[in-house]
Formats: sequence, structure tokens, C-alpha cells
Amino acid sequence: MSAKTTAKHINIRLKIWRQESPKVQGNFEEFSLDQVLTSMSFLEMLDVLNEKILKSGKRPIEFESDCREGICGTCSLVVSGQAHGPVKGATTCQLYMRSFQNNELITIEPWRADAFPVVRDLVTDRRALDRIMMAGGYTGAKTGPHADANAILIPKDLAERAMDAAACIGCGACVAACPNASASLFTSAKIAQLTLLPQGHPQRKERALKMVGQMDKEGFGSCSNLQECEAACPKKISIQNIAIMKREYFKAAIAADYREGKSEGDGA
Amino acid sequence: MIPLKQLFTSTLGRKYLMGASGFALVLFIVIHLLGNLTLYASSGDPINTYAAKLDGLGVGKLILEIGLALTIILHIITAVQVTLSSKGARSVGYDSPKSKGGPTKNTVTSRNMIITGFVLFVFMGIHLWQFRFGPEIEDGYTSMVSGVMVHDLYRVVVETFVQIKWVIFYVGSMFFLGFHFRHGFWSAFQSLGIMNPRWSKPIYFLGLVIAILLTVGFLFMPIYIYTTQGGVH
Amino acid sequence: MSIDLKSGAPDGPLKDKWDSYKANMKLVNPANKRKYNVIVVGTGLAGASAAASLAELGYNVKSFCTHDSARRAHSIAAQGGINSAKSYQNDGDSVWRLFYDTIKGGDYRSREANVYRLAQNSLGIIDQCVAQGVPFAREYSGELANRSFGGAQVSRTFYARGQTGQQLLLGAYSALMKEVEKGKVTLFPFREMLDVVMVDGKARGIITRHLHTGEIERHAADLVILCTGGYSRVYYLSTSAMNSNVTATWRAHKKGALFGNPCYVQIHPTCIPVSGSHQAKLTLMSESLRNDGRVWVPKKKENCKKDPSTIAEEDRDYFLERKYPSFGNLVPRDVASRNAKEVCDEGRGVGDSGLSVYLDFASAIKRDGESVVREKYGNLFDMYHEITNENPYKNPMRIYPAVHYTMGGLWVDYNLMTNLPGLFCAGEANFSDHGANRLGASALMQGLSDGYFVLPYTVTNYLGTHSQELLKKVETTHPEFDKAEGEVRAEINRMITVGKGGKRTPSEIHRDLGNVMWEYVGMARSEKGLKIAIQKIEELQKDFDQNMMLNDDQNLNSNLETAGRLADFLGLGALMARDALQRAESCGGHFRIESQDNGEAKRDDENYAHTSAWEYKGKSAEPVMHKEKLIFENVHPSVRSYK
Repeated sequence: MSAKTTAKHINIRLKIWRQESPKVQGNFEEFSLDQVLTSMSFLEMLDVLNEKILKSGKRPIEFESDCREGICGTCSLVVSGQAHGPVKGATTCQLYMRSFQNNELITIEPWRADAFPVVRDLVTDRRALDRIMMAGGYTGAKTGPHADANAILIPKDLAERAMDAAACIGCGACVAACPNASASLFTSAKIAQLTLLPQGHPQRKERALKMVGQMDKEGFGSCSNLQECEAACPKKISIQNIAIMKREYFKAAIAADYREGKSEGDGA
Repeated sequence: MIPLKQLFTSTLGRKYLMGASGFALVLFIVIHLLGNLTLYASSGDPINTYAAKLDGLGVGKLILEIGLALTIILHIITAVQVTLSSKGARSVGYDSPKSKGGPTKNTVTSRNMIITGFVLFVFMGIHLWQFRFGPEIEDGYTSMVSGVMVHDLYRVVVETFVQIKWVIFYVGSMFFLGFHFRHGFWSAFQSLGIMNPRWSKPIYFLGLVIAILLTVGFLFMPIYIYTTQGGVH
Repeated sequence: MSIDLKSGAPDGPLKDKWDSYKANMKLVNPANKRKYNVIVVGTGLAGASAAASLAELGYNVKSFCTHDSARRAHSIAAQGGINSAKSYQNDGDSVWRLFYDTIKGGDYRSREANVYRLAQNSLGIIDQCVAQGVPFAREYSGELANRSFGGAQVSRTFYARGQTGQQLLLGAYSALMKEVEKGKVTLFPFREMLDVVMVDGKARGIITRHLHTGEIERHAADLVILCTGGYSRVYYLSTSAMNSNVTATWRAHKKGALFGNPCYVQIHPTCIPVSGSHQAKLTLMSESLRNDGRVWVPKKKENCKKDPSTIAEEDRDYFLERKYPSFGNLVPRDVASRNAKEVCDEGRGVGDSGLSVYLDFASAIKRDGESVVREKYGNLFDMYHEITNENPYKNPMRIYPAVHYTMGGLWVDYNLMTNLPGLFCAGEANFSDHGANRLGASALMQGLSDGYFVLPYTVTNYLGTHSQELLKKVETTHPEFDKAEGEVRAEINRMITVGKGGKRTPSEIHRDLGNVMWEYVGMARSEKGLKIAIQKIEELQKDFDQNMMLNDDQNLNSNLETAGRLADFLGLGALMARDALQRAESCGGHFRIESQDNGEAKRDDENYAHTSAWEYKGKSAEPVMHKEKLIFENVHPSVRSYK
């Protein structure tokens, strides 16, 4: 477990990124909180701080969170230089104050990547990830009757590996932690899931080309195989998926039978 | 089929080029090391014979050299592109970023491939200036091997490595080669998408073994010559 | 004036109703489909699947969500699984049995025709999801795996580890993104719906606020579908997401949509207990824990603060095993929850707050060994350990019930359309299908059934029926839009004006509301308590109207969002209390202490076999209740007993 203190309460100092709006220059603002319960979650600590700020007549700190159980991927804080804070395999909302020491100075920053512009304070706009998904992160199956779910058998190990990749919560910690701000882990997780499952095969070439193309267009950096993404990923998604993406992209790029765009004679 | 230009200008494509050129360079360096083993002989004949054989390839040698130069240029261009695109992807950095450890391969060496690469580039320039474009037959560096007059490369090498400054420079540079290999070898497999879960750890380990072997293999040579030949001159 | 509530389900035998509907529905030709605009609010399972499916048909869809991405809706947090009557296990399951279990589980407070359709659609959902690449758990044979869930006697639950909701939502989300790419769906992220616009008696648009810029926007369409989830956050503490709210459906309610069965909420027994007043959210742990864990509290109050390992076996009260010898720790959610509350109310609760009971795995560890327990529940134990800093392998877990799901919602007919023409409501946001209590693994099934397989038909039928009128487009310059936008702006300005001088933060008032709801409109309700609740909520409403503190910022301002949602929770809270008060029976999740038989819930079919559908009459006026009589032609209401 990740406890760093057994005390019931600690005092902390906070250095938090404040930025009024996307275009203006931001800066760090310092706060201190005394007698913070160590059983409190990190975000609850911020809730408490915000109530205090609101009561002092100032503008509370904007940060994002929603499910607070580590699955929606909304929370997105870099805590003391680490995406989602010091605990491995956890999101910011799964971080507890017992992971900090008394009198510790905690720095809180937003995800840093030019593809994720800061909206305000710690809130960034991560729609670039959505646009990558839009480019091909689907099988293309339409709503309606399909072959029976058991018509295609899928080996258990393949299904498990696909699930490992599909566990991605789209938080963007991989981008935030990558020294190059690369979105390779995010993009590859979806490509790998749909490569491992037969249902994804009909569009696999198009998917690899388009998703990678969109990833580049968004201005994410290049993967240097540093594996920081996997270390920071709250779902511990493996960079093996990146290797799969590289294979898929290469195969698609040199394939002779792939034709971009709509087929001819489609003009019904 | 997408245009090749698009393929090789994508972030993935650049890494294919970097990985593939990296592999080619690994191959070259391994052969280079094997060739250099001739220096451990008690006379200069083996290395001079080996050099003469290479010279004897004529146009073939030129083609190999041009190919090698192009590979190096490709490796450098893609490296610079990758570095620039990454710097451009995060214009505002963190206050003090910290790795989360675990499976990470984010180390001083892996983070600074561009720097180790640059040092190796400078080293290569000096190395070529000293040996590839160093004193020639015309300068009187000749030797007789099996009755044929050849370029006495051995003498060039010995004259260099009896000087302590060059020994230090070469030994130091070889550490950078090792650092570069440490991340580069494994990384090339990953970049080319030929990594799979079963082989990841063994290949990462193999990268370490090769890095150590190459580094030791190369850096021991100047030391050997300095210690065995130092007193002669 | 009484509203005539008709389900609109076709006549004929139960199993033919949906086929008959499809055979007789009005169609829209492909060339006309592209002339229609549909608004879908919410992108959870129901919203995303509806938006994708309608776009595939050719309609132009505008999809709204408060997040940056459709994928973050709270459906994503559902753990357990999704039911389907596929009967792959050869264990006697069928569409009929799933229908019957759902009706019975809902304590005979749902509509037969809707539930039967749900069971029928459950077959196609699994095929649909597999085709989308949802990585369901599989057997070594390569076939899909199933498990028995929530006490069901058949194994009909499909699952993807403990992340079924996530995987199903990502499937629906991927279908949605496919249509975005094709240009058939336009995404409107960061938008909160603040009003429905009615033009000539039909829903023709919505007013939204852009959460980042504060901009108030108008969007016109030919119909509006609300898929905005449940209202558990009225209790402040619940397992719902921080941003889950009732605003969309409540604003529609204020515009005339009837609110069905607001008092039906589901309280889940195995949640991690509250640790302090700072807490904003509760975490659920899978119900499966009760398969091996034994629930107990000390027999004597004075032992409650002692280290549990020092309490002798004979001083422990395994109250579920004692009271329900045949089901033991596996009694349904409502029964388990209520009993935990009872022992805590007696002062026998454990933990610092006295608001928790032990869930003890010592017997299981002794019987099967720690490694077996770890294999089954390792993830849950780790999660518990991480949150509470207590090691459940050494000490018993502590659990307490938490609000988890709301069965009530906007009243809808068989078309999933509210009483307001053109305003549809699907998923947890509507009241249909689960009656007074929802079975495990049925929420996901309902969301996807509504979105994939019901709305595409009923929306088409609506458009086909009203084509003459709907093909005449309404512009956002229509006076009704002016009016709706004006009201929305006025309310925001009012809150900000009050906020300058107020003393209490929105969260404080919300927390107070939550306490009132939990205390009086929670697991056990009484006439007296409900009346107190109504009065207390009135006081909180005054606090909200006159004494709330806000920062004056029209851009991204989470407090302003909280305040707007709180306004609606206050209204809803009062309505829930009224609904609970009128329903002087115990059924499903609704337990009136006046209505019990030997400590067990007593249903009153003679007087309460109806859906209550409430009509809004203004802020200070009493709401009016309408009834939809529930007619059971195919099943016969029986008493639920777990003794």
C-alpha cells in the first residue's frame, strides 16, 4: 500500500497552477491547509480548499473529476510531477492524503501538452483524444440484427488481451507523463483491441492509417519507447499495444489493396 | 497504398526509419569490432591485410561507404525530427517532472539519446579524420605483407593510441556508444513493431549484453595498445 | 384536470405486442429522414446508443453532454454485468423467465408490455455489442461466459471483468464516433441542458449553457430525447458521479412532463462507509462479496468500539443469517440494506461513526484459504484497502448501504415518450421497466435496449405520424426560444445576485439536503418523517433562494453549475417526499415502516398498484398526482419472501 504516514492529520502546503483562460499566462499560487485528514481523498482535500477559497471571496480552483472511482477518466492532475500522483495504477481520484507527509509541499499542475490546451486552472481540453477515436476507433457495425454472439469463437487469451487494451479510460495520463507528449499508448490501445478481436478486422488497415494520421495531426509528440506512459497509466496498459500499432500501421501503409475514400460506383 | 512520403513523415514512419537504420548501424559496428580484433595480434600484418582486402573491393567499397553514410544521415535526420516534434508537443513543461518508476525505461540514457547520438557523431568525425582520412601510403605509411606493399594502418592506429589523450577520448566515447545502445537496441525492436510480450524482457536484456560487449570490446583496444606499445615509441 | 395516462402498448398477446408495433408503425422514407433533426441529451448507454442508431437511420443528430467526451458518462462505472435471455448455459432461461424475474424483482410495480419488450431486446443487445468489439469474458471454448448475478437462479449475466459498463459504453461511444465522422452526428460537449423549448405543444429544441464559456445557446430540432441518467445525487452522498444531476429531466418536468414514481430509489448494501463530512462520493463494491462474506455486528452496544477480533463468536450477531435462514447473507439488496440500517439505528453499528456493519471473510479464509479468497476478490480487497487503509484479509471489512440507482424518472409511454409530444426519455432517466426495485445487471440492459432497439422505431413512428407539422422547421428565433432563454438567464442572474451577499456555499446546502433525504426519505420512511422532510426541504429552499454564496464568474465556474443543479434537487427532493408519503405501502426499494408484516415489507396491491405521475404546478403550488393503473394480465402479483 502507498501510505507514507500513519498520522490521522497532516499539514500540507500546496503550489497550484492558476490560469484564468486559455490564452493568458498562468502562474503558481501557494496555499496551505492544516489538519488535513489523511483518510481524505486528494480531490476531497481540494474540495475542502475550494470551500475555503469561496468563503474568502476569491475564485475557487477549477479542476475536473466525475466518477471518483477511477473509471471515467475525467480527473487529470499532475501531482508533484507525476501524472495522477505518486500511486501506481490509480487515478487522481483514487489518491489519498495518507500518501503524503506532514508539511509536504505538493505541486499540482494540469496535463501538459499542446494538444490539450488549458481551459482554466487545472482543466484542459482533451477533445484531441476524441478526434483520434473518431478517425477509426470502431468496428463499423451498425445497429441491427447481427450474427449470433457465439457465431465467431474467440480464444480466451485473445479476448483477455483485447480486454487489457480496452481497459483504457481515455484520461490522457499517457500523454501527460510521456516526455514527448505522445499519444501512442492511447491510440494503440484501441487499435490493438480491434486487431486482436476478429470483429475489428474488416477495417483494420483504414483504422490504423486514419487513427495514426489523426494522432499526428493533433500535434502529439513521437514515441521514443521510454515506457513512461505505461508507468503512469492508471489501468497499467502495456506498450505491447504500441508494438501492435506499429505493425498494423506498417502493414496498412504498404498494403497494395487499400484504397482511401469511398469505393467507386457507390453513388446510389 | 498511401504515398511513401506520407508513410515516412508520420511519427511512426520516422521511427521505422530510425529503427531500421539503427539496426544497420548495429550490424556495421559489430563487423567493425570483429575487424578490429585483428589489432590484438602481435604484429600489424593482420589489420593491414584486412584493410587491404577492403581497399581491394574498389567500387564495392565506395558503395558500402556511401550506403553507410546515407544510413547515418537518415538516422540523424529522423532523430532530429523526432526530437523537434516532441519538443513542439509540450511548449509549457512541468515544474519538476518525476517518473513513476515501475516498467519505465525512462533513464538518463534513454532520455538523452539525442545527446549521446550527438557525441557519437562528433566522435565519428574525429575518428574518420584520424583513420579514414589519416596518413596514407603517400605519406610513407607503408608495410609489406606477403611481399605486397600495403597501407600501414597499424602504424596509424598505434601512433594515435600511444598518446594518453586519445586513449581517454576513445574510451570516454565508447561509454556513450554503450549508453546509446542500451536504449537503442531494444527500442528499435519496439519501433519496428517486432516486439512481442514474450520477447520484450529477453531483448531488453540482450540490449544490455550487446551494449556491454561492444563498449568493452572497443574501449579495451586503445588501452591494450597504450599498455603494450606505449614504451616502444 | 386529470391527464389520461395511456401506455399506448398495442393490444394482443404480450409476446406479440412489440412485433405488432413494428408491423404497424409509420415509416419515414430515406429522402425525408435526412430532413429531420433530433436532439439527444446525454451520452451514457441510452444516449450514445440512441444517437448512433438514429444517425445510422439517416436522421441528423445533435448529441449533448457535459463532459469533454461522450465516453465519460456514468454508465461507465457499472461493474457487474448485463443480463440477456440468450440461455447459452442451457439452464432453463428464456425471454419469459427474464421478463418474469424483472417484473417480480420490481415488486409488481412496472408495466408488463415494457418489461417483456426489454427481455426480448436483451437477445439482440449481446450480438450488437459483440459486433462492436466489446471484449466480453469468454470460456476456454471461445464462447461467451456467463455468471449468476444478484441471486438469479440462472446464469444470464454477460460481463467484461468488473468493467462491463465501461466496455458497453465504449461500444456505444464508438458507434457514436463513427457517425460523428460521417457527419450525421454533431457533438456538443461541455453543454448542460437548462430547458426544453415547446412550440405549438411539441418539443422543438433546448437551451444549453456552455460550461467553459458560460454562453447560453439555443438548439432547434424536430424532437428531443433526454437520456440524462438518474438522480441519486439528491442524497448528496451516493455512488453516482459528482456531475450526475436531475436538471434536464427536472426542467422538462417544470415544462409539463410528468415525473413517475420519484420515491423509488435503490440502496446498495455493500458500499464503503462514509469516513467524514468532507466526503463527496461513495464507492460501491460488488455485491458478489456477500457470496462469501458474513455480515455481523456485536450483540452488545458496548462492544462496538472494540477490536472485532477480540469479540467472541457468541457475542456476535450475524443478523441476516439469523433473520433469513434460507437466504442468509444473500437476501436482496433492499432487505440487506434495511437490516444494516436497523442494527445501526439500535446503536450497534461499528466504526468511528457507528454507521457501518462488518462483512467478515474469516470463515471463508479458514475454509478455502487466503489464496482462494484472494483469487476471487483480490481486486475488491485491494480497492477497499486503498480507500480505507484497513486490511480486509486481517480485519473484517466495514460496509454500509448507499444510494445507487433511481427507478423513478420521467413518465413515458410504450414509445418512451413523455406526456409532452416530441419529448422522449430513455435509460435511467425514465421511470419505466424496473418498477419499485431493479435487479442486478438490468440497468445496462435497459439503457441499451432503449437506445439501440426501441427509440429507432418509436422516433420514426413519431416523425412519420407528425410529418406534416414537423417538416415545417422551427427556427431558434421563434418567440418560444426567446422566452425559454430569458428564463434561464434570469435564474442564473438571480443566483449570482443572491450569491454576492450569501453565507452558505452550494455544497453546504446540498449536503444538508442530502442528510434530510437520507434520514427521512432513505431506507425506512414514515409519515411523520416524510412530513418533517418536506418542511426541512422548504427551509433549505429558503436558504438557497436567499442565502447562497457564489463567486461572480460567468465562465467555467463549477460552483455555479452545482448551484443550478441544487435548485432542481431541492424541487425533486420535496417531490420524492410527497410521493413516498402518498404511497402508504412498502414495495421494492420503498419501505414505509407503517406497512409491514412481521418486520417484512407489506405491499398493498389493492390501493397502490399504480404508477404515480406527478405534474408540476409552480414553485409554490402543490404538485398534482396522476395515476397510471398497472394491469397484470400475464403474471400474478405474489409476496416476496426470503425467510
